[in-house]
Amino acid sequence: MKTFIRVIEYWVPTEDGSLLEFGGGLFGEATRFAAVSNNLCFGRGEGLPGRAWDTGHPIVLKELEGSYFRRGAAARAAGLTCGIAVPIFKGDRISAVAVIFCGDDEAHAGAIELWGNDPEESHDMTLVDGYYGTTGDTFEFISRATAFRRGNGLPGMAWDSQKPVFLPDLGKGSGFLRADGAVKVGINRGFAIPCSTLDGSNFVMAFLSALATPIARRVETWEPDASGTALRRTLGFSEVQGTSNTPDTVSLADAGPLAAAFTTGVPAVAEPMIAIPVAPQGRITAVMALHF
Amino acid sequence: MNPTTTDTLNKKFIDIQNVEQTFKTAKGSFQALRDINLSVAKGEFVALIGHSGCGKSTLLNLIAGLTKPTQGVLLCADREIAGPGPERAVVFQNHSLLPWLTCFENIYLGVERVFAATENKAQLKARTDAALALVSLTPATHKRPGEISGGMKQRVGIARALAMEPKVLLMDEPFGALDALTRAKLQDELLSIVQKTESTVVMVTHDVDEAVLLSDKIVMMTNGPSATIGEVLSVKLERPRNRVELAEDRNYVHYRKAVIDFLYTRQGHVEKAA
Repeated sequence: MKTFIRVIEYWVPTEDGSLLEFGGGLFGEATRFAAVSNNLCFGRGEGLPGRAWDTGHPIVLKELEGSYFRRGAAARAAGLTCGIAVPIFKGDRISAVAVIFCGDDEAHAGAIELWGNDPEESHDMTLVDGYYGTTGDTFEFISRATAFRRGNGLPGMAWDSQKPVFLPDLGKGSGFLRADGAVKVGINRGFAIPCSTLDGSNFVMAFLSALATPIARRVETWEPDASGTALRRTLGFSEVQGTSNTPDTVSLADAGPLAAAFTTGVPAVAEPMIAIPVAPQGRITAVMALHF
Repeated sequence: MNPTTTDTLNKKFIDIQNVEQTFKTAKGSFQALRDINLSVAKGEFVALIGHSGCGKSTLLNLIAGLTKPTQGVLLCADREIAGPGPERAVVFQNHSLLPWLTCFENIYLGVERVFAATENKAQLKARTDAALALVSLTPATHKRPGEISGGMKQRVGIARALAMEPKVLLMDEPFGALDALTRAKLQDELLSIVQKTESTVVMVTHDVDEAVLLSDKIVMMTNGPSATIGEVLSVKLERPRNRVELAEDRNYVHYRKAVIDFLYTRQGHVEKAA
């Protein structure tokens, strides 16, 4: 099973806070790309991670080649054509920048959308940019024409709850307001996370994927329990086993990747899983775990 | 006024801020609308669409100044809407013509109310004649509402509203009571009139095709009670619009599907919850 996301990496600030250095990631077959990444550092505003750090909000770079992306040749060799950089702020300090890579081969049915709202300008959340793989322009057309209000649609739900939202079936009754168009282009699952920003604006990253190319093999979300000393699993969805409602908790004192991601604000890898903190407005509300 | 202020005013010609409408009923209070925030630009055509009971007409009445919000504020041209006014003309589904007056007299009544203080009788008559001509009703000038068809009555209602040169035309399902062919004809006429007058229009409708054909923006309301705006669709179809050509336009089809999708998905959701 090929997943829609091919590579996820993360970059962390150096000790003096002047640069971003390689933190880790899941690279699958893109071993050369991993090797190139391992030796790089980015200043503020440099390359894709540095740009996301500098702008303070996520960036979708649809064409890596011919852009400010610094690893174009290695990305091309690995079949990666699009990168989405998501800065993670803990409080008002950058804790990491996660970068998600996709390809554009025929198996890439799905979309990654970045939705944004500036509360001083509008009550609407509108499409900032999106990567639509081989999904075609029908779905993109409607996404570009649509504005969501807080609490409505997949982006609006993530914006409102400030937590990840997963819709395993985008058919009728799911709350996904572009269901008809989605079904037509083969998109069946939606996953949205509210993103970190520093300026009070709201950004939501929405992952929409098709049966043949799921976002990841397994998607989990973990949120702090009432005591604030542990994380409990609020969602577990596997492409093979479906939704799992088995309760599970992890102590925040645990040394594992979930607790580490939640307490430090830095993604953590335990092959084949990556735990990424979800920190809208600089406050970590959840951890999403993607298994590949 | 500096250009930036003018630009802001044009973008927010009608500005609805944090509006809530709660009615007191025998069974207690009923919240019809909540968290309504909406801007309508000058010259924009906006359709309000949603299921019955979603508060579309309540919202239109608030813009008309016929009711006051329990919370929030509504502005038109930067002035608070404190009551009905000639700058906001309303066209209702039931046309509301006075049956004992001719078409001319029905329109003249409105014209007189707005312009009598500044214009002489000849000018008022000229305005009325022009309004009748605008909706192609010159031949029916001296007929009474009982002597003309439903579509013609609705055209008189539109002419009466437009003759007052309102800044905003508010329409509450104006073609809802008409047969499909008459409705289509009047929609085409409205398209052409709005093109000429560059009016700002807010229209309540149940009709998805009507909304897509006429609007620049479709505001889709969630189900009531406590209804609010769920989604806003920008319709970027070139004007003038031709319904025959649009029937095969793929963007038109996409917009239409998006509205149907919203309405059916939401309705399905409610049924599931109930």
